[in-house]
Amino acid sequence: MTWTLVAATLAASVAAGTSLLYAALGETLGERAGIINLGVEGVMLVGAACACAVASSTGSPYLGMLAGAVAGVVASAPFAYAVVDRAANQLASGLSLLFLGFGASALIGNPFVGALIPPLPSVSLRMPLGEGAAAVRVDFLVAAALPLAGLVAWLLMGTRWGLRLRAVGENPVAAFAAGCNRRRLQYEALAIAGMLSGLAGAHVALGVAYTWAEFMTGGRGFIAIALVMFARWNAWWAVAGALLFGAAEAAQLQLQAGGVDVSPFLMNMAPYLLTLALLPFTGKAGRLAAPAALGRPYRGVE
Amino acid sequence: MKKLLLVILALLAGSVFAQDKPLTVGVIYIGTANDYGYNRAMKDGVEAMKKALPAVSVLEAENVPETAESERIMSAMISKGAKLIMATSFGHQEFANSLARSNPGVTFVHAGGWMIRDNFGTFFGATQTAWYALGVAAGHMSKAGKAGFVAGVPIGYVVGNINAFQLGARSVNPKFVTRVVVTGGWSDKVKEAAAANALIDQGADVLTMHVDSPATVIQIAENRGIYSIGFQSVEARALAPKGWITGLGFNWAPYMTRTAQEVMAGTFKGKMVREGLKEQMLVLAPFGDAVPQPVRDAVNATAAKIADGFTPFKGPIKDNTGAYALREGEAMTNADMGKFDWYAEGIVGRVR
Repeated sequence: MTWTLVAATLAASVAAGTSLLYAALGETLGERAGIINLGVEGVMLVGAACACAVASSTGSPYLGMLAGAVAGVVASAPFAYAVVDRAANQLASGLSLLFLGFGASALIGNPFVGALIPPLPSVSLRMPLGEGAAAVRVDFLVAAALPLAGLVAWLLMGTRWGLRLRAVGENPVAAFAAGCNRRRLQYEALAIAGMLSGLAGAHVALGVAYTWAEFMTGGRGFIAIALVMFARWNAWWAVAGALLFGAAEAAQLQLQAGGVDVSPFLMNMAPYLLTLALLPFTGKAGRLAAPAALGRPYRGVE
Repeated sequence: MKKLLLVILALLAGSVFAQDKPLTVGVIYIGTANDYGYNRAMKDGVEAMKKALPAVSVLEAENVPETAESERIMSAMISKGAKLIMATSFGHQEFANSLARSNPGVTFVHAGGWMIRDNFGTFFGATQTAWYALGVAAGHMSKAGKAGFVAGVPIGYVVGNINAFQLGARSVNPKFVTRVVVTGGWSDKVKEAAAANALIDQGADVLTMHVDSPATVIQIAENRGIYSIGFQSVEARALAPKGWITGLGFNWAPYMTRTAQEVMAGTFKGKMVREGLKEQMLVLAPFGDAVPQPVRDAVNATAAKIADGFTPFKGPIKDNTGAYALREGEAMTNADMGKFDWYAEGIVGRVR
């Protein structure tokens, strides 16, 4: 019984954690370049809506997934322009992007509410624990999640591009003096971040929910932002964080289904309590790890 | 003499035309009207009313929030000539009511509330007793004797639906178990998916739900090869060609048509309307291909029994802690359906 529960929770945490990981990896890149984007949730929603629209119209979930990625980049473009070229306040611009995303996704998704959405093809891997029917459903985005985390880690820490990107996030003036093209690097980071947030939304729509509904991402974009801080701007830690949060959410639903005698309201708070409980402990070390120029508009000369 | 005749003719003609005097109806929805759920059912009712009454024209607004914004949208409809307003979500109530006070010439009807005035009526389906028939269907179809119920927020009405479902299932299979998972919202799709999977992992072979749109839960049940039972709109059957059993849907057309006719005839009087299977405000969805004839007959017979006034909420009923929720001779009426704070025996879950 217990092992069955553990197996089912682990399986469910993969499904819930995948979209979190994509969004968190994108946000990690952006923040490493010195830009905090509070609009992740809005970009995810636009990605989800476009993925549904294209998947439903063409019948191809993979085209839908691509559409989600492209939509994420397009939706992030005005934000990128505002904060990179116009030195606009990042928090205000991010919140504007968030609400823009709410509205735009509702508009795009409206004709596809209730439409049949072809899900991403998946294979079920039965959990080796317990007797239940718990299985991890591995679709393309789930399978690509770990390699992607590795790729982001390598890009950030193992390439010259990553070094420059981090330099821009730490001290853009010095980076500029050293010959880095801040503007270009930040645009590149935000484009990849937009793409990953769009894919995160696409996974919610095509890999988990199989439908479009307004606000269907349910605040996961914000959890992804918290995850980035919890993971100290490190791609591998983001994997652990995404699984942990996914597990917290899955566990409370599994426990309810298993008939544990705890108030459902209390259990619904659990994942957020966990987030709140963990953040203070990343605080001190987190402040050291944070890109020094995070959130500050660039005022230097170019 | 000739003049008098003309006047009489004109009066006659006037009264004939008065019969067909056009009526503009304004309808506001909380969400999008094609969600296979609550709003879709409302929209279907409006369309049927339009078809039945050619003199009716309709103004519609979707995604109307339960805020003062709804009051502005309804006002705009009134200034465009709407004489009947249908406010279809619970939270539109007070805004519609305040407009009804300042616009005595306009009639309002609201779904699911309690406020009543001369020009303000309330309507809703008596879903709780009807859920008993869905429980009977689940009791017959489930091989494991286990169902999973994904609930948005466990308010009294939802708990009543779950209880009736379980009581119906137990009337067929005395060992039937219904596991409940609460997601905490009416439209958090990732949690609905995880909840549906969790219930299947726990051995449920029938899933049902009370959330805004049944699409996610039904599709997960279908993908994992188990049965599903829908709620809100009867059209959700399209999502589960293999595993669909049946469902309970709202059929607002007769009430909406009747109300529009009353407004045109000037006989409308605000009152509380709560109707069920009998008046066809609720209808059972068509059965899925997997449901054998004897089960269909049993479910239809149960529905007919409910239409004749049968209620499952008659003591003795034990709750899931073993205590008596209703003693011998006690019963709950239509007015009590929001008051459930206990789960019936055999339900795994907690209300609070």
